[in-house]
Amino acid sequence: MQKYFDAELPPTQEVSDALTFHAFEIDGVENINGDDVLDVKVTPNRGHDCLSHRGIAKELSAILAIPLTSDPLKYLPDLSKKTDAVSVAIQSSLCSRYIAAYVRGVKVGPSPSWLRERLEAVGQRSINNVVDATNFVMFNIGQPLHAFDAGKLLAKDKKYRIQIRPARQGEIMTALDEKNYELAESMLVIGDENADEAIGIAGVKGGMPAAITEATNDIIIESANFDGIATRKTAAALKLRTDASIRFEQVISPELAAYGMRGVVDLLLKIAGGELIGFADEYPTPQEKKTAQVSLAQVNSILGTNLGEKEIMNALERLGLPFKRGGEMFTVSVPFERLDISIPEDLAEEVARIVGLDTVPATALSPLTTKPEINERFAAAEHARERLMRLGYSEIFTSVFADKGERTVLNKVDGVRPYLRDSLLPGLEAALAKNKPNKELLGLKEIKLFEIGSIWKDGEETILLGTISEKEKVKEIILETMTADHYAEMPLSTAQRYTPFSKYPFIVRDVAFWAPPPTDADDILSVIQDCAGGLVVKIELFDRFEKNDKVSLAYRLIFQSFDRTLTDEEANVAMEKVYVELRSKGFEIR
Amino acid sequence: MASPSGHLNDGHIHPISSLIREANDIFFDMGFAFAEGPLVEDEKHNFDMLNVPKDHPARDMQDTFFIKDEPGMVLRTHTSPVQVRYMEGQIKKGIAPPYRIIVPGKVFRNEATDMTHEAEFFQIEGLAVGEDITLANLRGTISEFLKKLFKGSVEVRFRPSFFPFTEPSVEVDMRLTGDDVPEKLRGRWIEMMGAGMVHPNVLENAGVDSKKYRGFAFGIGLDRVALLRWGIDDIRLMHSADLRFINQF
Repeated sequence: MQKYFDAELPPTQEVSDALTFHAFEIDGVENINGDDVLDVKVTPNRGHDCLSHRGIAKELSAILAIPLTSDPLKYLPDLSKKTDAVSVAIQSSLCSRYIAAYVRGVKVGPSPSWLRERLEAVGQRSINNVVDATNFVMFNIGQPLHAFDAGKLLAKDKKYRIQIRPARQGEIMTALDEKNYELAESMLVIGDENADEAIGIAGVKGGMPAAITEATNDIIIESANFDGIATRKTAAALKLRTDASIRFEQVISPELAAYGMRGVVDLLLKIAGGELIGFADEYPTPQEKKTAQVSLAQVNSILGTNLGEKEIMNALERLGLPFKRGGEMFTVSVPFERLDISIPEDLAEEVARIVGLDTVPATALSPLTTKPEINERFAAAEHARERLMRLGYSEIFTSVFADKGERTVLNKVDGVRPYLRDSLLPGLEAALAKNKPNKELLGLKEIKLFEIGSIWKDGEETILLGTISEKEKVKEIILETMTADHYAEMPLSTAQRYTPFSKYPFIVRDVAFWAPPPTDADDILSVIQDCAGGLVVKIELFDRFEKNDKVSLAYRLIFQSFDRTLTDEEANVAMEKVYVELRSKGFEIR
Repeated sequence: MASPSGHLNDGHIHPISSLIREANDIFFDMGFAFAEGPLVEDEKHNFDMLNVPKDHPARDMQDTFFIKDEPGMVLRTHTSPVQVRYMEGQIKKGIAPPYRIIVPGKVFRNEATDMTHEAEFFQIEGLAVGEDITLANLRGTISEFLKKLFKGSVEVRFRPSFFPFTEPSVEVDMRLTGDDVPEKLRGRWIEMMGAGMVHPNVLENAGVDSKKYRGFAFGIGLDRVALLRWGIDDIRLMHSADLRFINQF
């Protein structure tokens, strides 16, 4: 990054924070060969311009208010040297521009070390100077590029003919990964028209027929623009997502192709030698220049801020968004690569990012004159919850995915239970069975459950209320709405923190004894607790009666471990300690 | 394991239901009505009308369950389609903004499950539309909600983000301070939700004049709020139907 700036960049953490709070999330920072490499999560709206080092540098320049040493997109590149040796024929509307450059006499070999290191830093393997140059420029400005070995193309009348055409149904091309891809008519290929052969899958991957090798002398370089949706579909259908296809999918400006072409040719001539014969540029409908407008009042009414004109002007200048002022209105000439900017809200967001989102105050909504409507179904659900809770029922949620049902999910990742349930009952029954063995641990006499949830039956989505208990049969009814003019006040959970529970089985032991008065059941409980040790998770008094001045008490102890299944022996040892202690206090174990 | 009411034999409501009840109480006082919509949703409402065009890379942001033999039908990936459904409904009834709704409900993502990911989980959506709604109102509303929910002093910060249905878009982080706050959460910035100003296209798609009205919207993962609030260690407990979990609330 430092190479983009004259001024010294702040430390990595500050750069990372600058991007986080003004542009993009940082997924991670990794140190590669002594350089900190930031993994920037570019949002889909900025895939047009920020899947590139230049794009990120430009953001940093705006955020940190330090100028770029030189912006590779600043000056219109010179493609004036034309050649007749290569012709380009665009035969599909899915290609909006195709530039070919013909370079003769290159020397294919290893890249200089600076280039290898910079590619390795972004996780790229160095291949050779020609391929590396195309990759380097792509990472630099975001324009995918490709080089063909011209010697492997068929020349007719000393002329190469490149065509961009739909693939033929079933046409097979071997790509650079040495795999054969069967293509379809919806896909676009780069063809050697003279040989009637596909040499690349447009926007996705180059082909073996024109692969660069050590023996390559003459090359044809491609810098083109392909339709985002078509590229995305092709890459998905072939299961071949590449650095190129990822960028075309995001839609990039056809203007960028010229910058990519000039950039890669200049670099190639430097590191691989050769002579530029010329360019062939097919660009049927050039991208129109766009403007976007926002007024000072609009910015402030979207953001709820009180920004002045100066702050807006400063933000636009730092962002490199040229503007004209007419009264309160700012009219921005949108740079060609910023395909994301068109409406006032877009500009308000740009300004907000640069002045900082922390300048947006917290303002309460203005009060309304009327009360909100009561949702009659929610009121009914709340009423049912309260009623059932009082009857000892606990609320569960079970999955909507089921083993049967009339509607099916097409693409479930795990493949199991692909149906949408047509009843709450199987879920309730399974939940009852699951909870029954834990009854003593839960301190319940009976498991009682209810669920309020959606089912799909007879073509309808319906919300049902289902109940089940050990004594009553499972049943479900439609959750009817109820008229209400307010929501009844209902209790909230008073839980402070959740306590994880053991997944191992528990052991139950009871102890009953006669205790002479004065008898304090709570005191006795703590005595038992102290003796029984750390494996006791629950003790409760479950029976008490009096006879002839004596009180009979019965306690239930539950033993359980977090890390293993307890043995009976362990419970017996603990209980023996309890018996000894109780006897020593003069209690008569029954 | 006493129940909230203190009655020994009472059952327990699910922690998510308790959160929804609490959220509804808080938002009702700020003028928000409780709205809902279907779980099996059409792509038009789940995506298209929310400014997520077909074949747009933004659709990759959410892994969608499709319904077999019903082209164009999905399990909703968020509660946002109810924004559109609600506004359409109001316009049809001839009721102009202001609108304020919350939409608590179940949503689906087609992904492998683990301790922090579930294929079905709960969200609460918020939407406010009016002539004078600003991003500052979003911050004020969210701050108020989080302050009441976490019962501490809450700082809220925005980070830039992108959602196709909001412009500008933000991520909302919160930081809790105060002695009542569990130590694990205290003083730490925590990512809470995505939010922003409703994209004018979404308003227009629902029939609301975007020249006259603006809105804010937010979407919070309720399971995540529950995990934070109570220190729950596994999101899959929510659908476990295990009373060893539920009866703690």
